[in-house]
Amino acid sequence: MVPLSWYLMVSAALFCLGIFGVLARRNAVAILMGTELMLNAANINLVAFWRHLRPDVMSGQVFTLMVFVVAAAEAAVGLALCIAIYSSRGTVVVEDMDLLKG
Amino acid sequence: MLIASQILGLIAPQWILLVAAMLVLALDLTLGEEREGWLPYIALLGLGAALVASLSLWNRQVALFEGLFLIDRFAVFFQIIAVLATGLVILASIGYFEGKTPYKGQFYALLLVTALAITLLASAADLVMVFISIEVLSVTSYTLTGYLIADRKSTEAGLKFFLYGAAASAIMLYGMTLLYGATGSTNLAEIGRTLSLASGEGSRWLPIAAIVMLLVGFGFKVSAAPFHQWAPDVYEGAPTPFAAFLSVGSKAAGFAILLRVFLTALPDFRVDWFALVTTLSIATMTLGNLIAIFQENIKRMLAYSSIAQAGYILIGLACWDPQATGRESISAILFYLLAYLFTNLGAFTVVIAVERAVGTNEISDYAGLIRRNPWLAAALFVFFLSLVGIPPTGVFVGKLLIFAAAVRLEYYALVIVALINGVISLYYYYGVLRRVFFLAPRDEAPIAVSTPLRVVLAVTLIMTLGTAIFAQPFIRLALTSAVL
Amino acid sequence: MGISHVLFILFSVLILGGGVMVVTRRNLVQAAGALILTLFGVAGLYVLLEAGFLAAVQILIYIGAIAILIIFAVMLTRRLADEQEPGLNSQWAWALGTAVMALAILVIVIQGTWPLAGGVVGNAPPLTGDSTSRLGVALLSPEQYAFPFEVASVLLLSAMLGAIVIAREKRH
Repeated sequence: MVPLSWYLMVSAALFCLGIFGVLARRNAVAILMGTELMLNAANINLVAFWRHLRPDVMSGQVFTLMVFVVAAAEAAVGLALCIAIYSSRGTVVVEDMDLLKG
Repeated sequence: MLIASQILGLIAPQWILLVAAMLVLALDLTLGEEREGWLPYIALLGLGAALVASLSLWNRQVALFEGLFLIDRFAVFFQIIAVLATGLVILASIGYFEGKTPYKGQFYALLLVTALAITLLASAADLVMVFISIEVLSVTSYTLTGYLIADRKSTEAGLKFFLYGAAASAIMLYGMTLLYGATGSTNLAEIGRTLSLASGEGSRWLPIAAIVMLLVGFGFKVSAAPFHQWAPDVYEGAPTPFAAFLSVGSKAAGFAILLRVFLTALPDFRVDWFALVTTLSIATMTLGNLIAIFQENIKRMLAYSSIAQAGYILIGLACWDPQATGRESISAILFYLLAYLFTNLGAFTVVIAVERAVGTNEISDYAGLIRRNPWLAAALFVFFLSLVGIPPTGVFVGKLLIFAAAVRLEYYALVIVALINGVISLYYYYGVLRRVFFLAPRDEAPIAVSTPLRVVLAVTLIMTLGTAIFAQPFIRLALTSAVL
Repeated sequence: MGISHVLFILFSVLILGGGVMVVTRRNLVQAAGALILTLFGVAGLYVLLEAGFLAAVQILIYIGAIAILIIFAVMLTRRLADEQEPGLNSQWAWALGTAVMALAILVIVIQGTWPLAGGVVGNAPPLTGDSTSRLGVALLSPEQYAFPFEVASVLLLSAMLGAIVIAREKRH
């Protein structure tokens, strides 16, 4: 068996890679990929805690499935927004979106 | 053990809203364009039925599905807020989408789903339930913000909202997993019990890290600084009725879940989150008010004003002390949210009326509004008085209640910062009112206001004044609902 | 060190290597490919954690649907000029600092409760019975998670509805 803390360290590293992606990327789809990394990091945590704390109670695994659903819903809406913007402006680079000052 | 029909009765507000949303969708496809105008009224009927159902739950105190879902007065209070906000916003959006989008029915259906999400959040008592309900609210909000696909500002706002929101909820989710890891449970009450039994042993840093990460997600929902950057862009770009909804409905939901999670799962860490919430509160109100001064677009100005209001409300949470002010400070927050609902929806309704006549949202367009429509000018005056916190208006009483809790705990510094902020806010609200009353209009043509908008203005105006002049019953309502 | 340790290290390299490529590759098709590597590594960790059903779902839903959706979006919104432009914005150094600081804090926090120094052998409680069937029961029995399960279906429905409205062809 691999100890719990190993999983948590991998998850923390993946989470911070996701943070970096969200903060540093210019393209909206690339930012979305960064949030997918963060969601996966949270999922590793959930499953690792489920296995190591109380494997008879399924809440950790149920939580993970809910995260799958949320990831799918977010990806669908986010990519629809990207496509809508691309069709009117020809770019999904966030820095180039300046109709709203902010 | 409850039987199925009893459970259905207890979750009646939720399934009624869902059925209403489905009905609106189905009728949108079958009614045809000439009878499309019925859809908002069908949505309103559904909201009315949901309101009756929630009021019938007033005296219930039940935990459903092994403690996943709580029905108590706190939850019912927020069900009422959700239904009121959605109902007024639906009324205010009748006619707004003319010529802007062919998909009007879907807007009402999705708006009913957001109302459903708020009622779910108010009852959620388990991290799984909290997460999934918050996401229903977020995902429908992204859609409704980017709803006007022919309007580039709207889609841009939708995408920015989505990118900020998805990142904030991922951080919040990571914090939730840490709480789950620290306690082995996802149930809020059980997390609270385990953490208080374990206090002293184990690392204190883990729950604090979780608190910070949860505050990112909840702070995003209530638009607290530094997680507020989305608000001005989103308010400016979103369809105005939905911006109004975000400023009251979504904010109220954020506070509901913030209170529920912090006061049931993390009350033992009050010393730790007190400092965080106080800092957040001061930063939020100061930043919101200072930046609001420089806005030229009324929706952006109202966005910063609503950020500042979140700062005032956070004082209520900072002043929560189980021994001294527990119930008092929660009830102050609830009252504030109710009064703010009417006031801010009213202000936004004036903006909708002007936007429909003039076509833009520049503050300079408000010059001479009194000559173009004295009623709108007078209504805006009352709503701005309330937003500043000048009697006799609802938000003034709300501020008073929140300050009372702060004074009780002798947190005078917070009160002084809030009062200074009130003075700053006077400046930009006055800037608009000066144009409305004293400058000459560029265009003398009177502004016509449609009947649904008049109804919304009348209701919000009466309630903005009513929550102050007849404050007692509303304060009592907030006090009886302040049980967690 | 057993076979599970070797597999763990293999999957972790896949996850983090893929992750680094996801956030740094200028070519987004390559970044999306790297995302699939990461997702595959995560599925591997689920297998090591004896959550076989989740590993299957990870591959079917996450790789099969979400990652493919992302690749579609990359293809549909690609400009040739993008390949010459930088993949990172001007604040990337600041972003890197934030990420490294967050990692340092998380490592300290995790070390405080679950120290790495606890040895290379984990002590998870034994798994009794069939966890997949228990997951099914938990998801669909009203006393457990049937309610959030239904809420999840509302989420998918409204996301679908919203995506259709937004991504549809504009009619002028």
